[in-house]
Amino acid sequence: MENIKKITQIALNELKTAGADHAQCVITKGVSDEINIDNGEISLMRSLFDDKIALKALKDSKKGVIGINKTDKASLEQAAKECVEAALASVEDDAVSIAEFTENRDFVTGISEPDRDRFFDRMMEYIGDIKADYPKIHLEQVVADYTYCESFTANTNGVEYGHNHGSYSVSAMFSAHEGEKTTSFNMCDVSFMGLDKKIIDLGMQRTLFEQCEKELDPISLDEKFVGRAVFAPICFSDLLGSAFGNFINDVTIIDKTSPWYFSLGTKVASGSLTVTAAPLDERIVGGERVTDDGYISENYDIIRDGYLKSFSLSEYAAKKTGMDRSKNSSGCFVVGNGTKKLGDIIKEIDKGILVCRFSGGSPAINGDFSGVAKNSFLIEDGRVASALSETMISGNLADMLKNISDVSEETVCDGSGVIPWVAVDGITVS
Amino acid sequence: MLQDIIKKHIDGTVDYTELRAQVNTKRGVSMLSGNLISNVKSEKSGVSARVYKNGVWGFAANGEYDGEHIKAVLEKAKSNADFLDRKAGKGKPPLINGIPAEKTAGRDFLDVPQKEYIDFAKELDEYIKNKYPALKSRAVICRSDSMEKLLYVSTGSISHAIMPRAYVYAVMTAEDKDGDAIELFKVVNGGAGYFTDYYTDPASCYEDIDKLYEEVMKKTEGIFPEAGICDCILDSSLAGILAHEAVGHTVEADLVMAGSVASHNLNKKVASDMVSLTDFANAALGAEAPLPLYVDDEGTACKDAEIIKDGVLVGYMNNRESAAHYGMEPQGNARAHEFSDEPLIRMRNTAILPGKSKLSDMIASIDDGYYLVNTQNGQADTTGEFMFGVTMGYEIKNGKLGRALRDTTISGVAFEMLKTVDMLSDEMHWDTSGYCGKKQLMPVAMGGPAIKCRVNIGGR
Repeated sequence: MENIKKITQIALNELKTAGADHAQCVITKGVSDEINIDNGEISLMRSLFDDKIALKALKDSKKGVIGINKTDKASLEQAAKECVEAALASVEDDAVSIAEFTENRDFVTGISEPDRDRFFDRMMEYIGDIKADYPKIHLEQVVADYTYCESFTANTNGVEYGHNHGSYSVSAMFSAHEGEKTTSFNMCDVSFMGLDKKIIDLGMQRTLFEQCEKELDPISLDEKFVGRAVFAPICFSDLLGSAFGNFINDVTIIDKTSPWYFSLGTKVASGSLTVTAAPLDERIVGGERVTDDGYISENYDIIRDGYLKSFSLSEYAAKKTGMDRSKNSSGCFVVGNGTKKLGDIIKEIDKGILVCRFSGGSPAINGDFSGVAKNSFLIEDGRVASALSETMISGNLADMLKNISDVSEETVCDGSGVIPWVAVDGITVS
Repeated sequence: MLQDIIKKHIDGTVDYTELRAQVNTKRGVSMLSGNLISNVKSEKSGVSARVYKNGVWGFAANGEYDGEHIKAVLEKAKSNADFLDRKAGKGKPPLINGIPAEKTAGRDFLDVPQKEYIDFAKELDEYIKNKYPALKSRAVICRSDSMEKLLYVSTGSISHAIMPRAYVYAVMTAEDKDGDAIELFKVVNGGAGYFTDYYTDPASCYEDIDKLYEEVMKKTEGIFPEAGICDCILDSSLAGILAHEAVGHTVEADLVMAGSVASHNLNKKVASDMVSLTDFANAALGAEAPLPLYVDDEGTACKDAEIIKDGVLVGYMNNRESAAHYGMEPQGNARAHEFSDEPLIRMRNTAILPGKSKLSDMIASIDDGYYLVNTQNGQADTTGEFMFGVTMGYEIKNGKLGRALRDTTISGVAFEMLKTVDMLSDEMHWDTSGYCGKKQLMPVAMGGPAIKCRVNIGGR
């Protein structure tokens, strides 16, 4: 960590020499080993050594930002000059700033050295396990990697935070095949810090493989109905991300187009919904320790028992609007689980849909969305029935959060979030 | 410009080897209702090597670009290939080399000062603010990117190429009668080249800005379409995403090998007779292709890949390895986005070829349907099922355009939907501003004419 700490100091000195009033430097030195599987076979091994340097200069209340991937003195000097030039060309804005000094800390998470041979063996075992347990599943592409990153954040207010982290991750894209029959592809990602467990047992992969094999004989829905949809964890997390992107992030709060602009402290969702941005949760792998603005990350509630507790704002947006900056910038959601088993939630549905992946257009600012329910199933008479093809769902994200009828007791943790199944009324299925 | 310090290192390699130095640049400013919320420039450069051995690949990349690190990435790529060959060797034969390609393409890199982007954004923003005070919010985004690649392949191929692009986006948000925010965006001019090739006078954008305002105001009074399968005219501005998402991805040979719907449809009828689709390399329909590519990142000379001819699926897009697998000729579709990326099978300039109909006749031929004008994003599936978001459209009633539409999504199964095509317009529209996402990003061009067909539309 001492090495990159020195580089940040050189960069800050260059920024000051170039004329910056205030400056920030974030350096990340990364080393990755990646194994690729294509069409069920090991195909490529990739090693990457790369640095990222992000410089921010403030000059006369104007901001410039530059990113490079070189850490030698000449490159830093040139980048610092260009950064200050970009600031000088910018627009004066009293809301631009760098983090205030509070305390300096170093963080170390995850594992510092990969076991390359064991990781490779685990991946070979993964291929074998899928062939044995789910013979119709075809691994279209898998990217498995170990990445170790040293990062250091420093600014001219004296802020200095270091974070070293190493972990494994596997990202798989797969489908099921039988003769000429092919299912839609599905995907799953898991991050983890050890190799003690079989990779197939991480996250909800077994559930997804099992479901995928059942998707080989889908039916087309020949009717339109409005009913209850049960969203699988990954899918609900995606829709939640879209909702927060439109309702509580910088752009729509700064320009006051968010439908939740006046909703802080009010009820915006069913009382059964609690969402925390929680990079420090012990189940999150390598969660953020320092925010993009240069503050120590803390967990915070976005929604608690249906009430909107916080927007998700950068320091710039906070100063611009007179609101509070968010305590982390991670996007790691932990959604509180309910008390009902998934099976019992489904038992109560006469006609509905189990939505496992959503492929749709970007939702409108007001939350209106429509898209294809992929890898999804009809629910009839309290049980999961046929897989569906060419089925669209539509609704409104804000209404959807209000219309949550149940949250499952079971949750899925993939290393980047902890999410239950969530049942919602009023979804149009066609 | 990248200095050539890699040439000497390719000599003496034993296995099939690619050695590539690359610089990617990005410039961007975003002005949100008069606030400059983003003012960023970035540059990422380095060197990578990829080595093939008996059916497996080793790859290595380093951000440092000097003799020591070039040697190191070559050694690491080879040791990775050796490691995989030892652990999971496939015993496959060497890659077929083909004729070596050699080409230098593109103008020298032009680093347009950040001030040009900022001043342009400020002036355009001022125009919108003064002319359209009723808008709830406005944004102007000026951006550019470029890829410069220097490639040596052990087969003898050499390439040095620069591909720059520049665009301005305008975004307008208005309120409907209930106070809900309604948004619409437009790419205003732009294309291959540098920012100052297209944007020196903001007045050149005013016509498009005025049109955008007219459309967003119509959209505030828009309706949701009736969900279900219906007759549609996809405007020429949507044809490209249809060519790219609905067909293009399913015929990328790596996805064909994964069992895509194209795997059992080669030489079969997959579309109506009037549909032909080509992935153009560097020239299209009598002009230079919008994003021309001359040599791919495996050193293959780029040629057009004919995919659908008169409704019949006639080919795939390949890299060297898949071309050998299918007994086809590689046509230069192996592309890598950054220095640290390995080449994947990617599209280049993918288009449905124009027909002979007039757009007005096509609209007049529909009693009850929709005319869909703008799109935002899309996704393909190996099954051929596709979707894309539609951000602007109109209902068609009795052959005439009616009310505007709210945001919606359309979907279909490519090789079924293409059989419903019964009219193609005589115009051609290219879109070059987007990125395709497939493990890595990649700038791609997509195009086509207006298309009359039947698709599934989302609604209420």
